[in-house]
Amino acid sequence: MSALLAASLATLVFCAPGYPGAAGDAQPLVDQFAGAAAATSGWPAGSLAAVYDPTEEGGLAKLKGTDAVLAFVPYPFFVEHGAQLHLAPLVQADVTDVGPQQRWTLVAKAGRVTNPKSMAGYTLLSAAGYAPDFVRHSALQGWDMPSDVKIETTGQILSALRRAAAGEPVAVLIDQTQAAALPSLPFAAQLNTVIQSAELPVALIVVVDSRVPAARAKALQTGLLKMNAATGGVDSLGPLRLHGFVLPKLPPRTAAP
Amino acid sequence: MGCLLLAVAACATRLSSPPASSPPAQSAEPSSVAELAAAIDADAKRSDHESDAKIRESLATDAGRNADACLAREPQAAACLYGRGIALGLMARAHPTHAGEFLNSMLDALAKAETVDATYQEAGPGRVRSLVLIRAPGWPLGPGDTDAGLVAARRAVVLSPLYPPNLLALAEALAKSGDAAGAKLNYSRARDAALALSAGGDREDWLRQAEQGLQHR
Repeated sequence: MSALLAASLATLVFCAPGYPGAAGDAQPLVDQFAGAAAATSGWPAGSLAAVYDPTEEGGLAKLKGTDAVLAFVPYPFFVEHGAQLHLAPLVQADVTDVGPQQRWTLVAKAGRVTNPKSMAGYTLLSAAGYAPDFVRHSALQGWDMPSDVKIETTGQILSALRRAAAGEPVAVLIDQTQAAALPSLPFAAQLNTVIQSAELPVALIVVVDSRVPAARAKALQTGLLKMNAATGGVDSLGPLRLHGFVLPKLPPRTAAP
Repeated sequence: MGCLLLAVAACATRLSSPPASSPPAQSAEPSSVAELAAAIDADAKRSDHESDAKIRESLATDAGRNADACLAREPQAAACLYGRGIALGLMARAHPTHAGEFLNSMLDALAKAETVDATYQEAGPGRVRSLVLIRAPGWPLGPGDTDAGLVAARRAVVLSPLYPPNLLALAEALAKSGDAAGAKLNYSRARDAALALSAGGDREDWLRQAEQGLQHR
């Protein structure tokens, strides 16, 4: 009975800071995903619920609930909070048109940022700005920015790029999708790519604080890995711009949170 | 995880109701430009409060048909171009996998309507353009552009400064741009403008939106 009760309370929290989407709009999509994930993993129907939160604070609050046993998080969120929340990677998302890994790119006004020291007094803007540890030590590993560089989060990347192009002391850290679209901007010639990261995971599904028994976690991992070939799986992945999942492939420093 | 573009398309097209009175549902087939425009408005209002996806799709189809009929009669009428924009917004909600294309076409139609008559429906083309630009997913996933949305909202307020939805749109644009003080000021102005109107119509909804905005400042 207790096992059944525990199963019925399992919740997958989608934390999506920096990405568009309101909880109400996203809920039907994550509901559909949770149902399909449970089905392909042999979990009882209705045993996995899902909830979406577009903010870092909201996501962290939801992860404190004991029913929050799993989380779908962007890699920057994992770097920032993985150790503290005891997040253990289960699978890595294979994102449509991106893949399971991506490079981050630092962009600034052409000719202004030539080395880390030249960023003194700058503000670094990024959708991942809520995760300064990720920015400094993962995306910009080896690029030792001065301590006075402010790292701020923004959902207005286009505005940030305009500010940089206009000559404000602003640098912008953009993801792979944004970097691919950069040349299409009318002011692209006024911007320079300063540095690019190594390939880093895009997003992960993680077990929160060992709240899923090992056998059930293994079953879920197996189910998620074959989800893009399962009946109903593709239909639930597409709306979330997911192609499927692969085994986690993390850089060394975050391999064991 | 650049996801949920589809879901967000819905909120980008959930727009403040225009002031025109709506004809009764299923009335005689609209034929004049005014009747067709009113029918599109009615579809938009019903869609805003409709949870059934199939009914929303039907409303979008009806609005699109009426917009086509309107444009066939008067291709350069602001009412028809604006109606076309609204109909495309409903299509974006109904067909989320093509939301990006519909939203871009919607912005084009609204820009044409604004060129013909920027004052139509209390600066409706500029106001609706601003809301789409503010709420749609931003570059490069969608046409969202807060800077452009703020410019469009300011234009609408200049043209019709006491119309509450224009002030609400400007407040929302300022909030999204990080200008909390400016947002608060315009939510207050929207509330005052709504309070100055006689009861009924959309007044209560505008007051609720203004109060909600002020609570979040």
